[in-house]
Amino acid sequence: MPFPDVKLANRPLHFLYLCDCSGSMAASGKMQALNQAIRQSLPGMAAVARDNPEARVLVRAVRFADHAAWHIETPTPVDQLEWRDLQAGGITAMGEALKLVAAALQTPPMEVRALPPVLVLISDGQPTDDFAAGLEALLRVPWAQKAVRLAIALGHDADLEVLQRFIGTEPATAGRSPRRPLQASNATSLAQYIQWASTAVVGAASMPASRVSETPLEPAAGNIPLPDLPPTVLDPTDDVGPLVW
Amino acid sequence: MSWILPEGASLDFEGLAAPLQIIRGLGGGTQGQVYEVELEGERLALKWYLPACIARDGGLERRLIASIRATAPNEDFLWPIALLRASPASRPLIRIRQESFGYLMPLRPPAYVGACEHAAGRLAIGLRQVLRACFGLADAFHALHLAGLCYKDVSLGNLFLEPGSGGILICDNDNVAVDGADHGAVLGTPGFMAPEVLLGQTRPGADSDLFSLAVLLFRLLTRHDPLKGQMELAIRCLDEPARRRLCGEDPVFIFDPVDDRNRPDPIEHAAALITWPIYPRPLQALFEQTFCRGMKQPSRRALTGQWKQELARTLDRRALCPACGQENFQASGAPALCWSCGAPLPEPMKLMLPHGSVLAAPDNELHPHHFDALAGEDLRRPLARVVAHPQDPRRLGLRNLSASAWSAETHDGRSQPVQPGESCSLAALARIQSPAGPIAVQRPTRPSPAT
Repeated sequence: MPFPDVKLANRPLHFLYLCDCSGSMAASGKMQALNQAIRQSLPGMAAVARDNPEARVLVRAVRFADHAAWHIETPTPVDQLEWRDLQAGGITAMGEALKLVAAALQTPPMEVRALPPVLVLISDGQPTDDFAAGLEALLRVPWAQKAVRLAIALGHDADLEVLQRFIGTEPATAGRSPRRPLQASNATSLAQYIQWASTAVVGAASMPASRVSETPLEPAAGNIPLPDLPPTVLDPTDDVGPLVW
Repeated sequence: MSWILPEGASLDFEGLAAPLQIIRGLGGGTQGQVYEVELEGERLALKWYLPACIARDGGLERRLIASIRATAPNEDFLWPIALLRASPASRPLIRIRQESFGYLMPLRPPAYVGACEHAAGRLAIGLRQVLRACFGLADAFHALHLAGLCYKDVSLGNLFLEPGSGGILICDNDNVAVDGADHGAVLGTPGFMAPEVLLGQTRPGADSDLFSLAVLLFRLLTRHDPLKGQMELAIRCLDEPARRRLCGEDPVFIFDPVDDRNRPDPIEHAAALITWPIYPRPLQALFEQTFCRGMKQPSRRALTGQWKQELARTLDRRALCPACGQENFQASGAPALCWSCGAPLPEPMKLMLPHGSVLAAPDNELHPHHFDALAGEDLRRPLARVVAHPQDPRRLGLRNLSASAWSAETHDGRSQPVQPGESCSLAALARIQSPAGPIAVQRPTRPSPAT
């Protein structure tokens, strides 16, 4: 006879991409590289979601150029997600994107109980609107304060200071350097960072991984200990070659 | 996934006479990557560590070498077989610059699936199989602890189940060390860690293994977490500081008989409320022992031997509801209702053995420990199994799984041999004489309405 038809209680884990779609993203295939990186990361993300029955992983995405708008507005289970390509063109309304996310993280529509949300901001340039006002609006929302906020800088023109303000400043803890925006200098490293954020970080936020003694056991500065970044894998054959930003 | 070892390539490793072919990558995490490999025609698994993991854990190589020398406590562990470092010739084929190593272990057969599939409710598995898996887990930790070792990082992620049989496999045995001797880097997985380890008061060892084992058994048996009740519902954002409060600073068992602050919520925690009453009182008592007195007093936790004994007894008490067919685990003596449909359960036929008794329900088995008080509980080599008659499933028989013939005695004193592999109908029998010992058939004192 079958085991009683009951399931482990779970909590939603909201994962939000904030994608820069300004005109500069059209250069050197950056937009295509980002679309590919996210699309390629989905099977791994779905596998992590399957392995973590305590979490219900739900994905959304915001694009920002002249204005910010939802690219995926409905929180979508990762195994049902189809990534439509983002198109580049316009300026960089990053502040507006943060306001859009701030509104989405209010309760309601946010659930009363959840796991820490994961916000991933990807940008290749400088905000052209009032970034500070957007960030302030975001950080007033308790769920955004609790969120794991990551930033990926594409190429050398990204505004690292702005991205650092988005993720916040976390002092160096034992064995770990302070958190910095991730700098993707080519399509391969971009894909690795996206994969890391959508698998290792989602795993850490949904069900805690094994702890090693180095992990501070005292209440950490961040509310989720971030997993190690992926190692640099040397593979000239897999590299997409000329795409260096 | 970016694979560190090239798929399809043959690599030479120090200490291996033959090259190892990397068949394919199987998976990867924050510690390293696992590959299916072939060595001289045999398929094995290879775990290759990331340099960051090796750097963090200075004792890793020493522990692995000690484990390889000690060999596996029993066959349920995917135990390290050999430590591998690339030969100078193969070194350039490995796609990371820093020096690294890995270890060979048996390959997990495809029928075994991650225990989280059961937790998520995606696995077709019966209560008997879940209880057998729990027994296997207690048995494996019993063997490990008796060898003076401890596992340190028990969690759902390290366990695989074979849903058809309830067989188990335990992986990630690279933290195993002599209890109390080696301060390895691992502390455990939050949610499974003993409170004293989570709070940093002590290092993981055999006592904290007992806590983690109880959590894992509870999660397998109930599909719920022993500490997630009302106190979890009061937490809005379940992040690290919240988990620390819930599992370390003020942990309260959801079925604590005295402290009712953390009772399950009827809607959010329905799984716990439905499944907990299925299990007999003595088994529930071991959870209470571990999660109430044993929460703060590690030496009071239920031991692996106690779990083995009570889980084996629970399997002996298995009976099927005549109304709905669901598996029930009846307390001895007391009249009971089916947990699933509420129908009264008839008093069952019992097989009385020199050391215990087993209810006559299809698939229940007799083991050497039922005949020999000195034999430890072991489900691997059953001597007999209750079977339903192929034409009339209501007629129960007992199949001889031993290597010797039995003598079956009827009420009128006649006896008949039962050869290995044959089954005898229990309806007409008074007792069976087997080389292991006598099996007496005890019929219900009051006839059941269903038969």
